[in-house]
Formats: sequence, structure tokens, C-alpha cells
Amino acid sequence: MKNKLIELKELTKNFDDQQVLKGIDLDIYENEFLTLLGPSGCGKTTTLRILAGFDEPSSGQVLFNGIEISKIPPYKREINTVFQKYALFPHLNVEDNIAFGLNLKKQDKSMISQKVDRMLKMVGLEGFGKRDVALLSGGQQQRVAIARALVNEPKVLLLDEPLGALDAKIRKQMQVELKKIQREVGITFVYVTHDQEEALSMSDTVVVMNNGEIQQIGSPTDIYNEPENRFVANFIGESNIIEGHMIRDFLVEFDGYQFECVDKGFPENEEIEVVLRPEDLDIVEPDQAKITGIVRNITFKGVHYEIMIETEKRTYMVQTTDYAEPGRRVGLTFGPEDVHVMWKMGVY
Amino acid sequence: MKKKKSFFNRFYVVLCLAFFYLPILVTMIFSFNSSKSLTRFSGFSLRWYSELLNNVEVVKAVYVSVSIAIIATIVSTVLGTITAIGLSRNRKVVRELILNVNEIPILNPEIVTAIGLMLLFSSIGMRKGYITMLLAHITFCTPYVITSVYPKVRSLDPNLANAAMDLGATPYQALVKIVVPMIKEGIFAGALLAFTMSFDDFVISYFVTGNGTKNISIVVYNMTKRINPTINALSTIVILVIIVVLVAANIVPDMMKKRGFSGTTRKEKAVVLVLVVVLLAGLIQCGSVSRQQKVLKVYNAGEYIDLSLLEQFEEEYNCTVIYETFESNEMMYTKLSSGESYDVLVPSDYMIERLIKEEYLQHLDWDMIPNSENLMEEVMDQSYDPGNRYSCPYFWGTVGILYDKTVVDPEDLEDGWELLRNPKYKGKIYMYDSERDSFMIALKALGYSMNTTDENEIQEAYEWLISQRDTMDPIYAGDDVIDNMISGNKAIAVVYSGDASYIISENEDMDYFTPQQGTNVWYDAMLITKDCNEVDLAHDFINFMLREDCALANTEEVGYTSPVQSAFDEMKEGTYEGVSSYIPEIDNPKNEIFAYQTPKIKQKYAELWTKVKAQ
Amino acid sequence: MKQFRHLIKPYAIWAAVMIVIPIILIALYAFTEEGNSVLTFAFTFENFKKFAEATYVNVILKSFRLGILTTLICLGLGYPLAFIISRFEEKTQNTLILMVTIPMWINLLLRTYAWMNILADNGIINQILGSLGLGQLSMMYTDFSVIIGLICNFMPFMIIPIHTSLSKMDKSLIEAAYDLGADPVQTFWKVTWPLSIPGVLNGIMMVFLLSVSTFVIPKLLGGGQYMLIGNLIESQFISVGDWNFGSAISLILMVIILISMGLMKKIDKQEDKE
Repeated sequence: MKNKLIELKELTKNFDDQQVLKGIDLDIYENEFLTLLGPSGCGKTTTLRILAGFDEPSSGQVLFNGIEISKIPPYKREINTVFQKYALFPHLNVEDNIAFGLNLKKQDKSMISQKVDRMLKMVGLEGFGKRDVALLSGGQQQRVAIARALVNEPKVLLLDEPLGALDAKIRKQMQVELKKIQREVGITFVYVTHDQEEALSMSDTVVVMNNGEIQQIGSPTDIYNEPENRFVANFIGESNIIEGHMIRDFLVEFDGYQFECVDKGFPENEEIEVVLRPEDLDIVEPDQAKITGIVRNITFKGVHYEIMIETEKRTYMVQTTDYAEPGRRVGLTFGPEDVHVMWKMGVY
Repeated sequence: MKKKKSFFNRFYVVLCLAFFYLPILVTMIFSFNSSKSLTRFSGFSLRWYSELLNNVEVVKAVYVSVSIAIIATIVSTVLGTITAIGLSRNRKVVRELILNVNEIPILNPEIVTAIGLMLLFSSIGMRKGYITMLLAHITFCTPYVITSVYPKVRSLDPNLANAAMDLGATPYQALVKIVVPMIKEGIFAGALLAFTMSFDDFVISYFVTGNGTKNISIVVYNMTKRINPTINALSTIVILVIIVVLVAANIVPDMMKKRGFSGTTRKEKAVVLVLVVVLLAGLIQCGSVSRQQKVLKVYNAGEYIDLSLLEQFEEEYNCTVIYETFESNEMMYTKLSSGESYDVLVPSDYMIERLIKEEYLQHLDWDMIPNSENLMEEVMDQSYDPGNRYSCPYFWGTVGILYDKTVVDPEDLEDGWELLRNPKYKGKIYMYDSERDSFMIALKALGYSMNTTDENEIQEAYEWLISQRDTMDPIYAGDDVIDNMISGNKAIAVVYSGDASYIISENEDMDYFTPQQGTNVWYDAMLITKDCNEVDLAHDFINFMLREDCALANTEEVGYTSPVQSAFDEMKEGTYEGVSSYIPEIDNPKNEIFAYQTPKIKQKYAELWTKVKAQ
Repeated sequence: MKQFRHLIKPYAIWAAVMIVIPIILIALYAFTEEGNSVLTFAFTFENFKKFAEATYVNVILKSFRLGILTTLICLGLGYPLAFIISRFEEKTQNTLILMVTIPMWINLLLRTYAWMNILADNGIINQILGSLGLGQLSMMYTDFSVIIGLICNFMPFMIIPIHTSLSKMDKSLIEAAYDLGADPVQTFWKVTWPLSIPGVLNGIMMVFLLSVSTFVIPKLLGGGQYMLIGNLIESQFISVGDWNFGSAISLILMVIILISMGLMKKIDKQEDKE
């Protein structure tokens, strides 16, 4: 395992009477691309602001290389931020925006201009140095914001929903580029987003948050395939979530049938919830499956169809490349590895 | 159709602007008038501009106005800007509280703000003057800065300051390099507003100043008595400066943009620094008044001295005179009782009596005033100060009626004061806006003593004044009577004999008489206060004013009757030959001198007079 | 940013000393009697009782009548001007607004003196009338002269906020109204006027405030008999020397003004919401 760079311990934050962070424990490693994912108001941005130093935690610790930094002002931290709406200084041109931090450190002029040029090249804005920032497109402003932060050679780069303001196509492109830049500079990125697709495609580690608490920490595949609770399952991708109970290890019962699964370690007869991803379900002839139902609705989604199938107990969502005529009776099948068993959580 | 409309629009705009600029234009034109008149242009001349440069009072006032405006603008801009920035970072409760308090000076009538500040300064015993005026100006300027900067701060992305700090800027650097440049439009607008408010202020300055500190507005206000085109010359210069500054302000930013504006250059910083240093130096020079010199504080009525005499005195006695003026004896008393201190006062008889009674004064040492032998006997030993233990006469005279010989029938003069109720002259009368003089007239017309304390007599006099008001539509004017009568605006006016002499010397159609029912004979005299710091110098001053050449110069300039025999004689036969008002008619046994009034009676008169005017 | 939070402290102290305390002092004087010393505490309502006399009530009524009249005239004359100015192209607009502003920077007293010379019985207007062989007009020391002075000095305070709200208005709104079949008059009353109300309210507040409390202009152009509340306060402090009564009048004036301004602001906010 790599070195721990930042440790958050028992972090809480209150605004007036409202508790927005309810005890966050999180380790962030060197060279890691870590994403804080969650709906708005989940506390992800607050966590980021505490890391950057704009807010102080109400209690708990922030350790940077083992040293408590929660009382250190932002300008003394080796951490830089890319802001949600970029926060470029409108009265300075591209070059001066990027050179802002270096100028404050009173570095040598030629050195500064060298570094700025290198950054411009890295973010693909060569020759834009003298431009007025207000006249740049959203994507270009984004690049300037990244360059402005990275030129200071921080140990950690914080990104607060940096792609939120861009349109879909540029966003995809920037995702790739951000990942590339992260590999190139080899520092830790802490990325905040509410877009699960963005989180899954770029991150090494995803931290799912809700209501000021961490729901799950894991690699994108873990998070997707093994959601720990209903919230994560719902938030990450589309899911069919079914209540049931565990008969014994590797055997689960729901909708009145027993199914094999790969989960173990639950107490016998424990009330649990099962996640079935729509793309893991297959449509077969009714006689080949335990669960059967009638096709109610079919929507073409480009790569696949989204089919709603009404069974005796519920409606399942299935994503498949096969066409199924509405009104037809079909069967639903899935393999043991497609059944994800989670602890039942009444709260969500 | 459309053309017609656009013509009409243009015409309306021009009309409105003409209305705004008419008074300014008139002011400018008459600054080049060769004569003193402000209504009749008699030829082009630059005379008032050279007089302006020689008028120490005006030059000082310009300095006070400009320096206070600059300092108040700088301080209130800085204070207002940091407050606006700080406000946006505070909780709503704090923010609302401060913003609401901040609104008070903007919404409150100026006069209430002025009075509040005056009460504040006098209750903490602060010496009124430059500093109090400056503090007051900062107080009413800052709210305007805050209201123009705060919205800009609010519309600012709060992440900008965060971004700067994130990139390694300290809070101070973030403020200077990011926040301030982003809201500079608001700051500039606020500063401009602050400068305007401060430079133009009259009401607040008027109430909080003291010790001879005057800004342009106060000087202008005090000039009502003998307004002359000097002040027009000054305002013409002010207008030109404003236009130059405005043009510069509109052109310079454009030029800077073209040059590739990059923050404040070193040159600009140097200019600002030099400016501040010059200002401070000037301030210190103005404030300290060369410490080794003795300072004499003189408090006299407005336009009541030949100002060059003061310079002459300063030179001869190697001292500095702080010269202040009041509008009325009552105003002088108010100032004195609010704790202001002076060395020499020049009030009128009844007020002298009051000051003696209330122990504000010290005995004069007549041995130190050898020139007292020049005084004429008639003016000495009057009822207000028997034996002249406290007071030395300065000017004297009567109150009478000034009339236009071309309008008023000589026979009507025999009615004396009742002339003021003769319906023939309805709408052609100036009364003097002073309760004492007006009640004196009514009481004398009714045949009572003007020092009566009989409530019924006072009530009768009140009714006399009301009936006069209702039938005659008189104007209750202040010192602007003088100018108005010189221009011949009305036919009859109640005036002091000295003013009458001056008016008659400027307008030959006018003449003066004192009614046979008797009138007020008054004496203004020089006094030395109890807490006078420079007793010797104060005596020297009195002695100086009695010197024959000085007394002559003074009476020539002001027009009031001198108590110095030689000056009196010379004027009687010289400049004011044939001007009846210069020789006070004092042999009428019905004439009286005002006596001290108890506060109760005084209050009564004041109230009744307010009622006469306000009805 | 919490770092900047402390920046309000200097002004908080300043405002407490220079704004709040003076008001407390005025109140203190208003409720005490005799003498210019605050130390002789003797609470009384005498000063307010005195104010209830018809004379003084008339003074305040006259002040408000004059204030309202001036405000209405300024609105009636100023709105069209602001409207016309806002229709010019931007450069011309800036120049015109600047021209409206410049007179405000020239001493109010000086401008008032100039009016005295223009309106006097032997003044400039009458001289011109005289040379044309027309009769004399008596203009000085009347409502007319006072209102002329007030309008000339205070109308810019009406024009500028109205112009600001008119020029901020999206021009396409007017086009949209035309497009939907409104004629110019309808467009004005249904679109332009409602959108300019914040500016109008602002202007009304400024002009009313200034004209109701002024004392210099009525004193110079109206003469001593032109007794407004401002003059009354001034005379109590400067010549009568009854600071307590003067403070009581100030307090009454302040309360009336602050309440009416508060109401105005509320209307303004409601307009905003709608």
C-alpha cells in the first residue's frame, strides 16, 4: 500500500444548529485519485473546504503527513483548489491568473514565465497567455483554473465539481484529460462530484457520502458491484432492490423463490436487501425462469433497450440489447454472481 | 411625427438643463462684473478675482473645505470598503444591525444628524474646530461609501478571495490584489459621493465647527450681509476645477486602458504619497499656528470689522488672531454657554448686561488702554455697564426705518413706526427677523417701554405684530435686507443705523429716520472674558481698535458709527456727509437701551416671535 | 471568509459612538428640562406638550406639505427627463447624466444666492421684463421662490435613480410588449412604469427627505416668515438657545422620517417580490 497523505479523524462540522458532517473518518493516499460522491447537501463540499482550509471543523482532526493542520490558514497549505465556477480573477489575463501564486512567492520573473508556459502547454492552451479570461469558453476557463492551481506544485489538488458547468461532450473530454494530467503530475487529486458516472470512470477510490456520513469507501468496481446499502445501490447506477432474507451462506430467498448467491457471513434468516443490476438480468422464455412477468413498457436508449417487466410482486427494470414486445409474458434469469446481498437499513 | 417627437424631447432636455444651469451661469457672469451689483452687469473686470486672492478668510476656507473633503474621503472610503467586505462575511443578524444603523445618517434629516453630533462633541467637552468637523464629515460620508460598495461585494463570487488564499495569498494580499480591484467601481463611486457630500456640506459643518474653522459654505453663509462677487469668483473657479476633474476622470481611464493598464504603477503611488505628505504638512501648519506666537481669540458679529486691521494687529504685536463671527447675540451666548472659550467678545448692550450678571467677564484695566481718551463722552457710562467697568464701546447707533424717497410720501413719515402699518405700502416692507427688534417696534408704537415685563403689554405688542403681518405682508428678512435695499427691491425696511449708512452710500434714493415714538439706542462693546488667556494682548487689542487711524478705517469699511471722536467727525464731514443715519439721534427722551431679560421673559418673546412668523 | 469578519469592528465602534450615541443624546435632551447640561436629569414631557401647540403643529404640517409638493413636482418633471435621457444612445446618456450631476457639486448656498438675484423684485427677470416694457413680478419670499429653489437643488436626486432603473431595463421587454400588441402608451403604463418603480421610490425618498428638513433654502428664498421644521430646530439651537425643545422637535422629525422611510422600504421590497 502507498503512503497515507491525509487522515481525517472524527470530523464534524456544524453550521448554526445544523450538523452537516457527522463524524468523517477517511484516509487519503499519495498519488490517489479520490472522489467524494453524493447528492447535494451530503457534506462533500464541506469536507473539501475543510481540507482546503476555508472552513474549520467543529471537532475532529485533519492530519497532513501526520501533522494536525485544521487550524492552519489556506495560504500556508500545500493544497490547491479548482473551484466550482473556476473563480478566475476577471481583472487579470490568463497568464497573470496562472502566475498569481508564483508572483506572491516572489519567484524569479523568467522562472515564472517558464512555468506558466509549461502549464499552458500541459492544459493545451498554448498562445492563450494574453487573453482576457472572461472571453474564454467554459472548457478553456476550466483549463486555466487547473493550470493556475497546478503551477504551484501542490501535494494535493482539490477539485470542487469542476466539470459541472460544462456541456456533456466537453465534460467527457475533460474527464479523460484530468485523469491524464493526474498521472502526469503524479499528485493526489481529491475530486468532488454528484455525477456517479464521472466518479466511476476517473477515480481510484470513491467515497459515497450522504447526510454528512460516509456510506461506502471502495474502488469503482466495488462500489458498483458490491454496494453496501440501499442508498449506495440506488445512487450508483440503476438498480432493482428487493427485500428478502438470507437462508444460509450462499443461499438467499426473495419474491418467494430461493436463489444461489456468492454472499456469506450474514446470520441465518437475517432480513436483507438484494440488488439486481438491470443490465445483469436476461429475458428468456417464461418456462426457463423462476420469476416471470409481462412486458409493460420498452424504451430505446441508444445502445440498449430499457424494459419494464411487471411480475407478481413488483416491476423489474431490465437493460438488454434484445427487443421484447410489450404485453408479452417473459421470464427473468440471472446468475449467482449477479445477486448482491446488502444489510437492510431502515433509515434510507 | 417621429421627428417632431424627437425635437420635443431634445427641447425638454435642454429646458431642464437650462433650469439647472441658470443659477450657475448667473454666478459665473457676475464674477466678472466691474461693480458690486449682483443684478446689474456694468462691465467686464477681473477685480473680484484679485480680491479673492487677497481675502485671507476665503483662501483659508478653501483650504479647510478641500483638505477636509480629501481626508474625509480617504478615511471614509477605506473604512466603508473594509466594512462592506467584512459585512458580507458576517452572520445575518450582525449584518442587518450594522446596515440599519448605517442607514440612519442617510435617512435622518441633516439637521438632526448635525445636532446629534454637536451634542456629542459638547457633552464630551471636545474642542470644536477642524477635528470635530473632520470627524463629523467622516461620519456622514462613510454610510454612502458602504451603500455603494456593499452591493458590489455581495455580487462578488466568494470563492475569488478563497482562490487567492488557496494560491498562497494572505488575507491581506487577497484583499488588496483580488477583492479591492474587483469592487473598485463601487469604491470609486462611493469615494466620489463622499467627496461631493463633504465638499458641499453646510448644515453639519455649521453646527459642529468652532474656533474659527470655516469651510466655504460657512463663509458664504456668513457673507449674506454684504455679499459681493468675490464669492462668485470663487465658485466660478470651483466650477472650472470640477469640469477639468470630470473631463480628466472620463478620459484618463480610457487612456490607461489603451496603455495596457496594470495595477497602480510606482509613479502613481509616488504621486499619492506626495499628495498625502503635502496635505499633512499643510494641516500641521494650519493647526499649530506657530506655537511661539501668542494667540488671541476674538468673537464678533459677522461683517463687522475691517479684516485688514486684524492683519495689521497681528503684525504689530507679533501674534495670531483667531477671528470668529456670530449671527446674533443669542448665537454668541449659546456658543459661550456650551463651553467655547474666547478672549475678546463684541456683543450688544443687553447681552453685556447678561454676561456681567452671569460672571463671564473680567474688569478692564483702563490704564492699559491709553487710547480710551479718544472716546466720545456720549457713549460712556450707559445703563448696561455703569462706569464702564467691563466694556469698551466699539460701535453704536439706533434702529430706524430706511425708506425709498421716490416711493414714500414724506408726510407719512410722521406716523413713525405706524408707517409699517400703512396699507399704502403693503407688500413693500422688510421687517428685521429678530424678536427683540420687532417687539421693540411694536411696544414703541404702542407707547410702552421696550423693556416692559407686563404681560398685557407684551400681548398687545404681539397683536400689533400679528395685525401688521396680516395686513401688510411684510418680509421678515435677515441681513439680506442690505443687498435687497441697495437693489431697491422694496420701499421700506427696518435696519440698524450703520447698515442704513452703508445702504444710503450705495443707493442715493434711500434715506433713514428714527420715529418720534422713540427707538432702541444700542451700543456694541468690547469685553474681556474671565477665562481669557492673554489679558495683556486683549487690552492691546482694545487699545488698538481705539487708535484714531484704526477706528477710522473700521468705520469707513463697516459704515457703523464710531465711538472715537476724531473718526466720527471725519466721517460726518467726509464719506457720510449728509447721511443722517451716521449721526445717531440720541436726544429723544423716549429712546431706550435694551436691558437684561430674565430667561422666562426671553423665552416668552422667542415663542411669540416664532408664532408671529409661523402663524 | 472568516478572516474578513473582523473588518467590521472599527466601523461598529465608530457607528456606536458617532451615530447611536448622538441619537441617545438627542432623546435625553428631549426628555429633560432647562440648562445645557445633561447631568441635571429631570425627566419631563413638557417639550413635547409645547410642541402640540397649534403654531408648531402648523409648522410641521407646512413642512410636510411643502415636502410633498416639491417631491411631486420633481417626479412630474424629472421622470420625463429621465425617460427621455434613457432613450438616447449610451454615450449621450452618460454625458447627459453627468450634466445633471455637475450642479450638485456646486455649493447649494451659492446656487440659492443666484436664485435670489434672479428672482428679486429688481432682479434679473424683472429687469428683463422691465426692458420689454412689461410689469414687475413679485417672486421672492413666496412659495414660488422657495419651491423653485428646492426643485433646482433636489431634482437631480429624483432623475438619477429613475434613470438608473430605466437604463437597466431590458430593451427587449419593450419590443416584446409592442410585439404582443401594446401601443406606446400601454407599453409605458404596463411595462416601463412598473419596472421603474424602485427608482421612483428611491427618488421620492431622497427628495422628500431633503426638502422636508431643509432650512437654508426657505430661509434665504422665503424670508423669516417661511418657518419650516428645519428653521424651527435651527432657531431653537442657534438663537433661542432652548436645546431641550430643539432636541424634542428633532426627535419628532426623526421618528416621523424614519417611520415613513421604513414604510417606503417595505413597499419597495414588496414591489421586488412581485
